[in-house]
Amino acid sequence: MTVNPVAVDVDPVKVDLGTPSSAVGIAGGHPLVTLRSRRRPRPFRWTLWAARILLLISAGLVLVPVVYQFGLSVKPSAGLFSAPLSPLTWPPTAEHYAQVLEGLPLWRYTLNSLVFALGVTVGQLLLAVPAAYALSHLRPRWGPAVFGAVLISLMVPFVVTYLPNYLLLARWGLLNTLPGLILPMLTAGYAIFLLRQHFLSFPREIIEAALVDGATTGQRLWRVLLPAHRAPVAALAVYLFISTWNQFVWPQLVAGRSESLTLTVAVQRFASGEGGNAWGPLMAAATLATLPTVLLYFFMRRALLDTFSEGAVKG
Amino acid sequence: MQALNPGGRPKGGAARLEATAALYYGPALLFLGLFVFWPLVSTAWISLHDWNMVGANRPWVGLDNYRSLLGDPDFAGTLRQSALYIGLALLGNFLLPLGLALLTLQVGRREAEVYQSLLFLPTVIAVSVGTLIWLWFYLPAGGLFGVALAQFGLRAPNWLSDPAWALPSVALVAVWKFLGFNYLIALAGLRAIPVSVLEAARIDGAGGWPLLRAVILPLFAPSALFLLVSALLAALENVFVPIEVLTVGGPAGATNNLMYAVYQDAFKFFRAGRAAAEAVLLVAAFAVLIVWQFRLLERRTAYDR
Repeated sequence: MTVNPVAVDVDPVKVDLGTPSSAVGIAGGHPLVTLRSRRRPRPFRWTLWAARILLLISAGLVLVPVVYQFGLSVKPSAGLFSAPLSPLTWPPTAEHYAQVLEGLPLWRYTLNSLVFALGVTVGQLLLAVPAAYALSHLRPRWGPAVFGAVLISLMVPFVVTYLPNYLLLARWGLLNTLPGLILPMLTAGYAIFLLRQHFLSFPREIIEAALVDGATTGQRLWRVLLPAHRAPVAALAVYLFISTWNQFVWPQLVAGRSESLTLTVAVQRFASGEGGNAWGPLMAAATLATLPTVLLYFFMRRALLDTFSEGAVKG
Repeated sequence: MQALNPGGRPKGGAARLEATAALYYGPALLFLGLFVFWPLVSTAWISLHDWNMVGANRPWVGLDNYRSLLGDPDFAGTLRQSALYIGLALLGNFLLPLGLALLTLQVGRREAEVYQSLLFLPTVIAVSVGTLIWLWFYLPAGGLFGVALAQFGLRAPNWLSDPAWALPSVALVAVWKFLGFNYLIALAGLRAIPVSVLEAARIDGAGGWPLLRAVILPLFAPSALFLLVSALLAALENVFVPIEVLTVGGPAGATNNLMYAVYQDAFKFFRAGRAAAEAVLLVAAFAVLIVWQFRLLERRTAYDR
């Protein structure tokens, strides 16, 4: 009978340690957290509450621009400057959305953005998965040199490559085309780096067992390694999709004057041109351009945050 | 038989294994070579010429582009503004996320996830699109900040056209946009501190500020330095689009920096030789930082052993 209270006291600790899938990857649960999870009444701790309040304020401040962007997009034009401080007005209006959808060929731009983002995501994965596999499990003689090149490529500021790449595309006649937009973005340095980190932590014994069973090099990647890494590969794909969708400078340079305009560039064009003072329609366009990545983020939030944190620590 | 001579590793295997591996990493390497490393060489070559980007006339000028850059007061101003901005980035992209990460250690993991998710949200919004609302915030007449200050009887400055205010205004947008990412990385670094050490310290009765000062910060110092250099490397890149959308480098070069100048000289003023020379200087500055970062990384791994 005397054992019972102890068991009750310990159990929540175990549960707390076990649940976060990322906790194991990041050096186990944090003791500052787990030690506190005991179900014993705790005294009021002012540090905890100070931290909580500061964090809530920061999170609130970070969301202010997002709230106003949406707020202005559903605010009747008349009220925009009469009550600029209130982010949301009732009743909301859809007039700006209607106006933007009518006035701009948004579907066309969305399609371009989609092809661009998907092309870069699929292309980078096709290049990075085999490369990361070779650099983590095949141990080629030039592996360290290749990995060194991958690391160096990550550190070259993007702006340095723009001029020569632009000239190269011009020579190939690919300016203002979707392939021209996609090809120079297929430098998969970060993808290789991240996947290699994850592949390296996969037990060698399992791969070797597959080797003994007669699996070829390709089968070991395709049937053993990849199925075990669905989560990081999916998170990487989402990351690549979002960051490509959000690209601005390169699409503006390469596809700025054509039918291959992407959504982000089109919205920016609208802002510096006709939409400059039409805040309602402009914010409606901005909200529409933001929606796909924010939705993706909400569905993949956990996997994304975990993959980033782990990649950062192991890196 | 299978076990003695397994598929995928034939008898005379070494050379064939190399060839197979090369097939796997070769395509990725080809793209890196074509679109990263060749451009580096090409940029260095262009920097030795005088060229307007369109004409066929491209005379060799040796180091003249570098000489004229170093004697140019505009370029000196660009360097000064870069340094100023990096100072601001140190506060916003390094100290602020680090502070928030330290605060997060005080709360439970579930609760921390909520803050992470919220703070990370701006990271998934396109910078070019997310920056547009700031145009409205910074509007001299009727903008949010101006109106808010007017409530207290204060007169707002011309955020984007006053040379004294333009840089901090642009920097704030970059801080907002990348706070969540920097915070996530800082938090991951803090959580990577060995649990056993912290538990030992707790058992010894350490907690709160003493625990932070005597255990967490010293253990975290190597990762923090690493984070610092990463923040420095990312700083100029982070503010690129806010500059392009809000100020285009102005007023009077107040928000210009080394990275933006490369882009502007090449694609707006068509001074390819000058842009390439600036790019080479930028790469050189990065190389110094990166060598420093590798040193730190070595020291960090030494700590682990």
